Amino acid sequence: MKKPASVRNFPFDLWKRREAPNISFPQRLFLVALVSAGLLAVVRLADWWFRAEHVADIALFILLSVAFWYGIGRILVGWFNYLGIRKPVSCAAVPGMRVAIFTTSSPGEPLAMFEKTLAACKRIRYPHTTYLLDDTQDPRFRELAKRHGAVHLELVGLPGAKAGKINKALSMTTEDFILVLDPDHVPFPNFLDHVLGYFSDEQTGFVQVCQAYYNQHRSFVARGAAEQTYGFYGPILMGMYGHGSSLAIGANCTFRRTALESIGGHGIGLAEDMVTAIRLHAAGWKSVYVPIILSRGLVPEDLGSFFKQQLKWARGVFEILFSELPFLWPTLRWRQRVSYFLLGTYYLCGVTTFFYLLIPYAYLWFGFQPASMPFAEFVTMIGPVGLIGVTLYMAVQRWLCHSEMERGLHWRGLMLKIACWPVYLLATVLSITRTAIPYIPTAKEAMRGKFVRLTWPHLVVVLAYMTTLSIVLYQRIFIVPEEILVLSTEAVWGMVGFATMTIIFSLGVFYAGWKARDLPPIPAWDAVPDHFEADK
Amino acid sequence: MKRYQRVSIVGVSALSVTLFFLLLTGLSRRGEGPLNRILTDVGVMMSDLENALTEYFRGSGRSSRLRWFDPLRHVDSLANPSRFLLGAYDSGLPESLGGITELESGLGMAFPLLHVYTAWGDRPEQQFPARILNAIWNLGSVPVITWEPWLTDFESVNHPHLPLRTERDRGGLAAIARGDYDFYIDAWATEAAKLQHPIFLRFAHEMNDPYRYPWGPHNNEAVDFLEAWRHVHERFQKAGAGNVLWVWSPHSAYPYYEYYPGDQYVDWVATGVLNYGNVAYWSKWWTFEEIFGKKYIDLAALRKPIMIAEFGSLSYGGDRVRWYEDAFHQFPSRYPAVKSLIFFHATGDATVTPQALDWTVTHDSVLTKTISRQISLW
Repeated sequence: MKKPASVRNFPFDLWKRREAPNISFPQRLFLVALVSAGLLAVVRLADWWFRAEHVADIALFILLSVAFWYGIGRILVGWFNYLGIRKPVSCAAVPGMRVAIFTTSSPGEPLAMFEKTLAACKRIRYPHTTYLLDDTQDPRFRELAKRHGAVHLELVGLPGAKAGKINKALSMTTEDFILVLDPDHVPFPNFLDHVLGYFSDEQTGFVQVCQAYYNQHRSFVARGAAEQTYGFYGPILMGMYGHGSSLAIGANCTFRRTALESIGGHGIGLAEDMVTAIRLHAAGWKSVYVPIILSRGLVPEDLGSFFKQQLKWARGVFEILFSELPFLWPTLRWRQRVSYFLLGTYYLCGVTTFFYLLIPYAYLWFGFQPASMPFAEFVTMIGPVGLIGVTLYMAVQRWLCHSEMERGLHWRGLMLKIACWPVYLLATVLSITRTAIPYIPTAKEAMRGKFVRLTWPHLVVVLAYMTTLSIVLYQRIFIVPEEILVLSTEAVWGMVGFATMTIIFSLGVFYAGWKARDLPPIPAWDAVPDHFEADK
Repeated sequence: MKRYQRVSIVGVSALSVTLFFLLLTGLSRRGEGPLNRILTDVGVMMSDLENALTEYFRGSGRSSRLRWFDPLRHVDSLANPSRFLLGAYDSGLPESLGGITELESGLGMAFPLLHVYTAWGDRPEQQFPARILNAIWNLGSVPVITWEPWLTDFESVNHPHLPLRTERDRGGLAAIARGDYDFYIDAWATEAAKLQHPIFLRFAHEMNDPYRYPWGPHNNEAVDFLEAWRHVHERFQKAGAGNVLWVWSPHSAYPYYEYYPGDQYVDWVATGVLNYGNVAYWSKWWTFEEIFGKKYIDLAALRKPIMIAEFGSLSYGGDRVRWYEDAFHQFPSRYPAVKSLIFFHATGDATVTPQALDWTVTHDSVLTKTISRQISLW
């Protein structure tokens, strides 16, 4: 069978342990220099931004300023975070620890994928017991578990989806340490060797490792979705760990049983993994972030699955902001508060993107204008901030977990993030109205052929753009009085240019959706090898 | 963290901030950077394109009413004009031409000249106004720029070679003549040369009025004005800006002979005729004839075309309609050397009085009819 070029030319061995390097002092100094210069550039930008002559409409200007400076604020915190980059001192696992691996299966999930996951669990060298927490009521899963030496736990009809099963399984088992493994993740044989050592500190409640993927080369969407995570599992989490504000994801996380018990078991809800982690932090447990790739899983390959995953994550993250954070606020340390607040508001980018999107249309249709800033001045002010931002972004890529493969400008990821605004906006509205969305397991198999249903907001944007462009052209050629025409060229076409930029993102979505139509017909997990190289 | 590490982090941070600060201020020293210029050029290009498109699809509008003027829109014909050139300044400029349109439709004509004011300085609106000049040209007119050397509008940080702001006005013209402001003059000269169509430049007007502008006799010697004028003229020639018509514009109420730079440096001679009525203690109602009549002979003796660069009357203390009627009555035959008259059409003019003055005529239909009737009789 002919494989796509991207697969044929793929030069990286994904099934080896990869890890981010530690940081040296001169490297830290270099980051300090860059961040200091960036800070100056931001102060300069602020000094320029808030000038009375820039205000065109005070209410709109305030809105624009909130959106803009919230974005800049996030960037600043990100820079500050880079200054904390640290890798924990590696800590060998002592023999004799009692470890369980929990992985869950639900109806509709592909059997073949579990074949790979359970086989890989069996290959994990540190002595452990694998449990399959199953509610498929499908005898083939029971048979599969038996074949791979895993304990099959039939856990049907429990509330709280995955978390409910985990809590039930906790009561049925006695191991002191539990690795909760996502079923699409294939662990490497040395997984536990690199994790368990950190539990020799009695206060360590959980150990989080990098999440990496093995199917990102299969489509544009997969690549973009994976790109969105590279920096997070590299320099960002390493920085948070170094600053003592580790933020935990919870997935593929190894927990201390007593820690989980101290918070009444695994958290339940849309963001169950993150909720669990926050509660553990609030209860005073420490965590370790280990920037090592010890497993690889799946990332959504088509638009439908990606949007679904993003909706679920966004809704879950807002849940944390509204339901979890206010109660745990007093017990968290201030750095953790900042981290979790920024995490909780991450998906507000849907609202701000939508706001930015409306600006040119508000001007072209109704003459609303939030700010009057000479474009060239804006460029000279934002330029240094952007330049430092990009330099830092590239500079910290040496701390990506698999730097040689993951480094780059990640424009696909950025494009998908911006193009996801309808999804994030929907999540925001659902959260404010407290409308529940049902628990959706992240789709493991591609959903195809729902192009219009997925991309209609972007179709609307393109339609609005074409209509506006035609009307502007017609008006300016035939209607607008000459003396107004000669002095409004730049304002009007500048706004049209702004609108054109947003259109590029919409076109990108169409491209991504289109490309996902020719996904390789073989399932992704066929690429998982049956033998892993011995790892020293 | 060890002590030396903490110290070096603080040191590197401070060093980096300092270096980056110097770099950024160094880059933004000039009032107008290359980026700004590129954007202006792109804007002007787009405006030209739109102008061509509208002309193609709906025929020319205002410029068709000025078709008679088109053959005259060259430096040589404008230096020795065969027709009388009416014009206007409106306080909506350079953001809006609405006031001009209103005035033109009130008077039933299109002005061949449009007048804008620009002060020297670092701010964006103090750079060469390529956009508005291009717009004026595309509308079929020729721009007149009054170019005011407000030397204190240059930021000291950006121009360390200049004296402190408080010390700049005294002897400012000598500093211009010395070349201290060439960075600004040359930028204008280059842009003006690029424009390729004629512009009138009325530099340092009313240089002989000891009470008004900082470039007046209270801060400068007459000879310094001459040197400054010739220096600026020279810089423009050097940049190839032969498309500039030099308008020398003294205040007619004060002696001005010693301020005349010489025939080869001047293309037009101009003065302002504004009747303030009894609006202030220093003013009274003067007719046009009373203000300008006596001076005309003297100005005409210079044998250059004359421009009334600021023309208008308020309504305090007299009959404004009568004032305009008298002024326009058989104007060309009474003052044959005057080749241009520019309405000073400003609302909210507070240059010389504490209250804002309104020089506009458009809301008075009797007045506009009177003016257009008189003009039609020429």
